[in-house]
Amino acid sequence: MGLTCQHLEYRYPRSEEWVFRDLSFCLDRPGFHSLFGPSGVGKTSLARVIAGEINGFSGTLDRGEINTVLYTYNQERLPGWAPIERHLDRITPEGREDLREHLIEIFGLVPVMGQTFSQLSLGQQNRINLLRYLLQDFQLMIMDESLANVDERSKETILLEIKELFPDRYFLYISHNLIEVARFCDRILLFRGIGKSPQSLTFTGLDTRKTNQPGRDALDAVLLEIMNAG
Amino acid sequence: MLGRRILQFFLIFALGLFGLMGVKYGLGLSDYVIPGPGEIITTSRAVAHDYFFDTLNTLMVAVIGQAISIFMAFFVGITARKSTWAGTLIKAAAYNIQAYPIVAVAPIIFILLGDGFTSRLLIAAMICYFPLLLSVIGIMAEPVTDMEHFYIATGRMRWQLEVKIRAFENIGKLTTVIAGSSTLAMAGTIVAEFIAANQGIGHSIRIALYQSDLSRILTALFLIGLFLSIYQEILEGVGKRLTSGWILPKGVESEDL
Repeated sequence: MGLTCQHLEYRYPRSEEWVFRDLSFCLDRPGFHSLFGPSGVGKTSLARVIAGEINGFSGTLDRGEINTVLYTYNQERLPGWAPIERHLDRITPEGREDLREHLIEIFGLVPVMGQTFSQLSLGQQNRINLLRYLLQDFQLMIMDESLANVDERSKETILLEIKELFPDRYFLYISHNLIEVARFCDRILLFRGIGKSPQSLTFTGLDTRKTNQPGRDALDAVLLEIMNAG
Repeated sequence: MLGRRILQFFLIFALGLFGLMGVKYGLGLSDYVIPGPGEIITTSRAVAHDYFFDTLNTLMVAVIGQAISIFMAFFVGITARKSTWAGTLIKAAAYNIQAYPIVAVAPIIFILLGDGFTSRLLIAAMICYFPLLLSVIGIMAEPVTDMEHFYIATGRMRWQLEVKIRAFENIGKLTTVIAGSSTLAMAGTIVAEFIAANQGIGHSIRIALYQSDLSRILTALFLIGLFLSIYQEILEGVGKRLTSGWILPKGVESEDL
């Protein structure tokens, strides 16, 4: 069994406002899933609760078979004292050098390996950051806007490759791009905000893969379903 | 070519001297109160050699005192960066002790250690240490979350890496604080010499003060300012070299390193 949350409630210390209340959902199988919803509904807070970075919530959070959760977000930076190549070299676990080289190529980062982090564009920075997390041990990775500022074509290549390389892992993809979420994600957890009941709804996305490219009509149907529910 | 600091010092000193002459001639003060330019030059020539070595002596004590306080500030600042009970205790102690004027403790140090090198060094280091410590604690206790998150999440964070990240992110602030603390170290040494020591430019100023010899005091001030400007210029130069050596300039490839 995967990740199960029941009646989760959380508010920041010394705050009267709930970030989320009575939130229940289940991710019962590995795959590429999504947390979707407008800004400020508590997606990042929930992600950090799941990752164990926030405590003090109430309700049940059962991680099941998931032992290692990694949470990555789009504003993370690499130290500037060494080139990217040297940083990646140091954080690559033994035996994953081939995976690193493959990801560098797929992520389109070969030309920037000799540069420092601050010399890269925002999209390149986000790709490098995600890449270093993918090299680590994890059963669930939460990607909080991890591919922001990345062009659509590169994003598609990266997402399809991640799904092919890690079919037995759980991913929770946080994005504000509905088309992207509907196309690539399996389960879509729609956050509707504290004022609505139920606070969240789960939809099934198209889960596009290299070998499975659904048509335009299927995409329209999913988009319509989510937009009507939101 | 003269450095920025040295040039600024010459300008300020010249302005001060002109101001002093303005007061002298404006108020019609005698040469006994404010000596004329001729007398200042004659006295300066007479004492320049001795004062030069006195200032060098003072600067040497200040440099050693500053080095000790930098080492101590980093040692304590790094130890106190965590929110543990020890860290909180050290931070609270540092904030409270620095609120006390260290100069006031100087007579006790002279009584206990005599008027030699050690007393001057200790006072210089103490005066320089606490402001430096507060800056270092402030920098080291502030997490660089965007950079540290990955290392914490993946279990790679070590204290050395944490310190390196925080120092790297604040290298500009740190070099400025260190360069600025040289003034405090010099001031501390001079104050110590002024109070009780038997060496250094502070000691010479005290003698000139007893003789009401403003020419000698002006010569001493000129040499103190000049030496301090040169020293700060060197510190800032080293800081710039360190910064540019640590942060790769745009376009530099790893192969070039």
